[in-house]
Amino acid sequence: MSPNLPMPLIQVLQVMTVAVAAPGVSGVIARVEARLQGRTGPRVAQPYYDLAKLLRKEALAPEGASWVFLAAPLGAAACYLTVPLLIPVLTTFGLPLGYMGDILGGGFILSLASFLVAVAALDSGSPYAQLGASRAKTFAAITEPAVLFVIFVVALVTSTDLPYALAATVRSSSGQIAAPAHLLAAAALFMVILYETGRIPVETHTGTNEFGMIEEARPFEHSGPHLALLKWGSSMKQLILYTILLNVFVAPWGLAATPRAAAVGLAIIALLGKAAAAGTVVAVIDNSFAKLRLFKITEFAAAAFLLAVLGVFTLYLGGG
Amino acid sequence: MSAVAAPSVYSGGASVIAVGVLLAEFGMFRQALLRDQVRLYAAQSGLISALAVLVAAARQLPELYVLAALSAGLKVVIVPIVLRRLLRGLGHGGDGAQQDQAAHGWTEIAGSGSLSLASTILLAIAVAAFGFFSVGALRIASPVLPPTALAISVSVALVAFVLMIMRRDVASQAIGFLSLENGISLAALVVAAGMPLILEVAFLFDLLVAVVVFELLIRLHHGRAESLSTADLTSLRG
Repeated sequence: MSPNLPMPLIQVLQVMTVAVAAPGVSGVIARVEARLQGRTGPRVAQPYYDLAKLLRKEALAPEGASWVFLAAPLGAAACYLTVPLLIPVLTTFGLPLGYMGDILGGGFILSLASFLVAVAALDSGSPYAQLGASRAKTFAAITEPAVLFVIFVVALVTSTDLPYALAATVRSSSGQIAAPAHLLAAAALFMVILYETGRIPVETHTGTNEFGMIEEARPFEHSGPHLALLKWGSSMKQLILYTILLNVFVAPWGLAATPRAAAVGLAIIALLGKAAAAGTVVAVIDNSFAKLRLFKITEFAAAAFLLAVLGVFTLYLGGG
Repeated sequence: MSAVAAPSVYSGGASVIAVGVLLAEFGMFRQALLRDQVRLYAAQSGLISALAVLVAAARQLPELYVLAALSAGLKVVIVPIVLRRLLRGLGHGGDGAQQDQAAHGWTEIAGSGSLSLASTILLAIAVAAFGFFSVGALRIASPVLPPTALAISVSVALVAFVLMIMRRDVASQAIGFLSLENGISLAALVVAAGMPLILEVAFLFDLLVAVVVFELLIRLHHGRAESLSTADLTSLRG
């Protein structure tokens, strides 16, 4: 019998799990990707070494940049550390601060982070960073309707918009996970996540190829600890999105049902395993399809939107 | 609206297959190569056959297995083969490269839409919504009728019309017509699964006649216009 952990500690553990594990998940994806391309690839811990190196370096700001430029990475990282409080990372039951915000609240905080980074990119005065920021905001507006309709599906299925409630509904019956609305919403969310984490359809997430640069272009002018925070932030965002997909939609199993230390520890391991599996799937998809031209992104967004809208339609007719 | 209960296995499975048929219909807007368009049609027909097997198993109608086999043989194997043979035959008019392309089924039909792809999809979503909600307004409820499948079959038929109207190439228009028949089969399977086998087989042979007619039309059009596009037919308007 393992002792019960106090609730605040579990809450802190949720945040720490995401913060500490996020670079590792990126490392696993980079490794899988390299293997798929026939390269040996970097070691899994490479992102941690990169962060450590950047944190030791000097921070520089372009001439004329204001305090916004330096404050934005901190603000963005703070946003990414707030979201894990709101979503079921480790437990099936809501933690004390877990009902502070619903799915929309989490979405707002994620877009606030993206907004801060975009503002800093504009402040830098560099054309590349500005291009990245402008593209990121434009395409975010295009993918937003799909996200909204996914949230509508959640709301219709559970009568709430709390991520904990949907996860509980999915766990409650095996029929629910095969329900067309649920499958469609999960597929639409997966497509949005592919776009948001800089995979297909257009972006090359590692390269410095300007045609496909959206997210990667924005921290162009940052350096040292600020760049480290931005890189860490984007890997945290990736893990947060995977967690929402896995623990709310696709596989909400392996979460701790009680506050016991053993159950919570198992939940951490389960989450990391699931995230690594999801990352592998993403890497395989990313490497099996050709990138689209930049302005073909509307087709990709239209497909995600179609899936989410059909999900709402089938629910509306009572098909589940 | 109260929380929605999870559907039963039969009704959930039927709805998933019906959604798959509708998604395949939407996928036809995107296909750029004739070969892929034909493949997508074969996949959609395969889904219909799978639905026939599901209905047969769930409602103990053994004659539906025969129908599933017949429909799979005809729509998944024979019609695609006929269409592919037709495509190979179309290479004769053009130069060497064109013949080569046709022989491999690489005939390009992309860009034949009159609107951009995303706008077409949005239009088709609106049309599909009309189909959905008009059937929903009828409030047809029955313990043996999967609630969404009937609405989706109407949407499939309507979206097939959008496909035929928006794409300007003969091949997509023919495939649109054939997939319209898939939508009607879907409705027949979920509403009147017990419909006598002979009637359904007659429908399938009707389809075969349609394929032969389309083959003639496509050959005739290609012989005159040396392309699959119907854009130059608009100049014949009075």
